[in-house]
Amino acid sequence: MRGPQDYGGMPAGPVDPEKHEHVPTHWEKTVDAMMMLLFDQRRRLARVDESRRMQEALGDDYHKYPYYERWLQAISWLMLEKGVYSQEELEAKKAEVRARLEAGSHGS
Amino acid sequence: MSETHDHSHDHDHPTHTHDGKPIQEDPLPSLEAQILEASVRELLIEKGVISSDDVRRAIDQVESRTPALGAKIVARAWDDPAFKETLMSDSDEALMAFGIDMRPTELCVVENTDDVHNMVVCTLCSCYPRPVLGIPPAWYKRRDYRSRAVREPRAILREFGTDIPEQKQVRVHDSNADLRYLVLPQRPDGTEGWDQEKLARLVTRDAMIGVSDVLEPADIDD
Amino acid sequence: MDPKFQPGDSVQVLHRDQPGHVRTPMYVRGKLGVIERIVGSFPNPELLAVGHSGLPYKMLYRVNFKQGELWEDYDGAPDDTLEIEIYEHWLAPV
Repeated sequence: MRGPQDYGGMPAGPVDPEKHEHVPTHWEKTVDAMMMLLFDQRRRLARVDESRRMQEALGDDYHKYPYYERWLQAISWLMLEKGVYSQEELEAKKAEVRARLEAGSHGS
Repeated sequence: MSETHDHSHDHDHPTHTHDGKPIQEDPLPSLEAQILEASVRELLIEKGVISSDDVRRAIDQVESRTPALGAKIVARAWDDPAFKETLMSDSDEALMAFGIDMRPTELCVVENTDDVHNMVVCTLCSCYPRPVLGIPPAWYKRRDYRSRAVREPRAILREFGTDIPEQKQVRVHDSNADLRYLVLPQRPDGTEGWDQEKLARLVTRDAMIGVSDVLEPADIDD
Repeated sequence: MDPKFQPGDSVQVLHRDQPGHVRTPMYVRGKLGVIERIVGSFPNPELLAVGHSGLPYKMLYRVNFKQGELWEDYDGAPDDTLEIEIYEHWLAPV
């Protein structure tokens, strides 16, 4: 049973060091920062190992997620699993954020 | 789900087709991902788990970690044999001089020699010595590099323009657990008498991952 | 905790299927290698992954493999090697 993350030795394409590179965006750094905060020694709200378990649970979808979107999804599932917020709270918040983004406001 | 169909409504940004052909990674998040990110962040702030100040400070910290730190460490190791010995045997102690804390991981420095070329990959995720090199490059996190670096390292090296002679051993380090790896490249000839600041300018991020050589003395301006 | 293996010892990575999060990739399972160094004892990631403390800690080693042992079709140089960290409960003496 090979997990989707277990890439070692699998067939894959060439590496293009120039094309496969970009300066991390502010959005990516924000996700990175949230991960750091949740995993840090003081909060210990989650372990990086738990986040990896969640990413691996994506199965075939693992390959489709851009890197930081995968981490973000894992964090959100972990927070739900740990009861930090509920599914209802998340859905309500997403609706609020969606309405805000679609209205083009930048209230966050 | 077929990736040839348009699923623009969800988070599908496939980085590969089914035959493993790479598609250039788009750094812009989907709308759904933007919504999820803002939602998670705002909920965590409302719940008092983190504050917006915490997030700002953490972003500052992310931005403060760059390969320039690693380059300083390498340059000092080239210039200062006692420091190099500490770095190789007790990296925590050596990194304290730079205010760097690797915990809960440990930095493992692997030295290139006339006989051995070291190269680092994390096949299972994207483990990387972030406190000394920052955010890993996109290619390091992609399927192509993670899959092939362990099985055909010399082909990967050639894709980076790095040719390692047959008689030199290529040693791949799969960074899969509690250590994080930094390659200590060989100091180039023609740098005798250089100070550490000038030496550091030769040391690229890719040389510290082991996919490239350091720059040549002629490559940098005085 | 005393390490079961010493540098230079020949070991075999266990070839077992285990559900959940593990840090032993498939490509080294069942393969023969040599202990390069004892890294120390660390929380068990298989338990950390499900929210436990990771106790009891596991001894961790760096294990060196000949590339030719890992890949039948390896076409680099014969002396090329690979090193990876393996927890003690995934290793058997040879």
